[in-house]
Amino acid sequence: MITVIAIDALEYTLVEEFNMRNLKQDYYGRTDISEFSEPRTMVLWSSFMTGENREAEILAKGDKEMWNTRIPHEETFFSHFKNPFVLDLPGYNYDLEQHRRERELLKEFFEEKDEERKREVRRKYNENAFAHHRRVKERFFEALEGDYDFVLGYFSVADVIGHLNFGNRSLMKMIYRDLDDIVSRVEGKKIVLSDHGMKAVGAFGDHSDYGFWSTNFRDLGRPRITDFKRIVLQEALGE
Amino acid sequence: MEREHLKLVIVGHVDHGKSTLIGRLFYDTDSLPREKLEEVRQICEALGRELEFAFVMDHLEEERSQGITIDTAQTFFKTAKRDYVIIDAPGHREFTKNMITGASQAEAAILIVDVSEGVQEQTRRHAYILSMLGLKQVIVVLNKMDLVGYSEEVFEKVRGHTLDFLKRIGINPTYVIPISAREGDNVASRSERMPWYTGPTILEALDTFKKTERRDGGPLRFAVQDVYNIEGKRIIVGRVEAGTLRRGDEIVILPTGERTRVKSIEEFMREGVEEAPPGKSTGITLEDKLFVDRGQILCRLEEETPKMVSEVKGSIFWMSSEPLQVGESVIFKCSTQEAPCRVEAIERRIDSSTLEVIEESSSRLENREVGEVTLSFASPVIVEDFNVTPELGRFVIEKEGNISGGGIITRLEG
Ligand SMILES: Nc1nc2c(ncn2[C@@H]2O[C@H](COP(=O)(O)OP(=O)(O)OP(=O)(O)O)[C@@H](O)[C@H]2O)c(=O)[nH]1
Ligand SMILES: [Zn+2]
Repeated sequence: MITVIAIDALEYTLVEEFNMRNLKQDYYGRTDISEFSEPRTMVLWSSFMTGENREAEILAKGDKEMWNTRIPHEETFFSHFKNPFVLDLPGYNYDLEQHRRERELLKEFFEEKDEERKREVRRKYNENAFAHHRRVKERFFEALEGDYDFVLGYFSVADVIGHLNFGNRSLMKMIYRDLDDIVSRVEGKKIVLSDHGMKAVGAFGDHSDYGFWSTNFRDLGRPRITDFKRIVLQEALGE
Repeated sequence: MEREHLKLVIVGHVDHGKSTLIGRLFYDTDSLPREKLEEVRQICEALGRELEFAFVMDHLEEERSQGITIDTAQTFFKTAKRDYVIIDAPGHREFTKNMITGASQAEAAILIVDVSEGVQEQTRRHAYILSMLGLKQVIVVLNKMDLVGYSEEVFEKVRGHTLDFLKRIGINPTYVIPISAREGDNVASRSERMPWYTGPTILEALDTFKKTERRDGGPLRFAVQDVYNIEGKRIIVGRVEAGTLRRGDEIVILPTGERTRVKSIEEFMREGVEEAPPGKSTGITLEDKLFVDRGQILCRLEEETPKMVSEVKGSIFWMSSEPLQVGESVIFKCSTQEAPCRVEAIERRIDSSTLEVIEESSSRLENREVGEVTLSFASPVIVEDFNVTPELGRFVIEKEGNISGGGIITRLEG
């Protein structure tokens, strides 16, 4: 049994700076995503689950349609397991409505000129993301109790909150603490993986061009995101 | 009247609960700014978790490091008796550089041990530092009692192990208290979940401690930091390391040995200041125009003055992956003095975790080892035995531009 804690936009340098021991586990480092033209969430997770660079295919869908990507189960390495549980992963089974609402509020925020109303939009945006995070956590911990041979939980909170609040270090640290805590409560072999990190742009956050990985079983060096298919299957099934 | 304050250091192995205990102490004594607490409570709620003190402390620290001003009162917590100032704990970020200066200013220490894990590597190292610095007022708290069902049996067992270890390094704690920092048991209020424990809570225990800092007695040691010429006045800026400086004092300047009087104590926007207490940084003017420079020490004429020595022996706690080597030249920093020195000998290399003597006489001191070291100076330094005047008896060593170790002076020679 192996568990993957997939965390969108978990930033290597912040994990270091905040010294988040559980996120770091025993071995950790950056992933190499230089083969991609830009650090795009949908492209990266799609490539992760298939073990192939899916950039061209995803980009061809266009900016809007891209977010509706649903890669068929048989094309993912999850299909190698008898009874896998994958929670809310973009490009596979994540909550489209939730994500649509996030993008809508984000757009509203940047279009709003009035400072007072802007703050109100941000409050709504944050609350929406946090509410989702609470639900995902609950379902994730339920799944860990279940009878699965593979569990993957996807957590978007660092990315979603980070985009509008990256300059609020105190808030970001609390989110990292929470994620750190989540990892500490998972038993057995585990991998923490992010698609890309995040860098400050003023008070906001933009994607940085490397991801984060950590394991409690071996050093992975500087893996590419497409290497994880092989790593997971090898560790879990000896394939 | 100004309230008395006592300087406290909290040490212990990583994750044994320092931040949580500090947060709990602040919270239970109502010393936390309410709006900050509210902010953190809301975020914790948003994340679907209970309010955690570690988050509150992070939040305060984060704002402080970003220079968002925080009322200094917030670094205090108050009891009916006095205020407590928490000195940044060594090991908070794995041996902060100011360990020696930080912990050596403390008048009391709390050593925190997770009762479910017992004494660990950093527990030993930190305890060793406390012992080296001669701290006598020590409380051991066995934390996370909630994890062991508040069991007296577990407490007694871990208490035994901990005391055995501490005895080996000469620490005899005044109290050993079973607590849960997270739940608040025996921190500010007595726990109903441990009726078998009849000793004091942490706050009660702290309140029995004495201020060890000399209030104003003791010989004067004024360390010169800088000299400024302002509007025709020559102002000597420095820190009263020990004793009390008074206007009119007859003083001697070391190392030159010249004598004069304190003409005035200069403070911003204050006239006619008569004295400066220990610990105060202030400016003064002198009756005569003499040569004064950074690193000099002003003392009172009628009092005993420190010796100027060209060799000292001391205990050094080394904290760098680059070893300290016999024969090499490093920078010695004590108060405002900075002097190159040569490492003459390293005796008794000790592993600060196992307390094992690695070597009786050695050519090097490695990371996290303690050694009895002899240092020599080309031109004499003004230092004292740590047990006589701690302010002039503690030092740090800079190697290749980095603070790499710290220690205390145990003997003066030459
Ligand atoms: N059950 C329980 N957990 C506690 C208690 N005190 C602290 N903890 C938990 O132990 C963990 C570590 O606590 P911290 O206060 O961050 O520990 P620390 O010693 O400050 O750690 P560093 O700052 O990383 O050195 C946190 O998850 C706390 O919630 C307690 O009394 N009971
Ligand atoms: Zn992403």
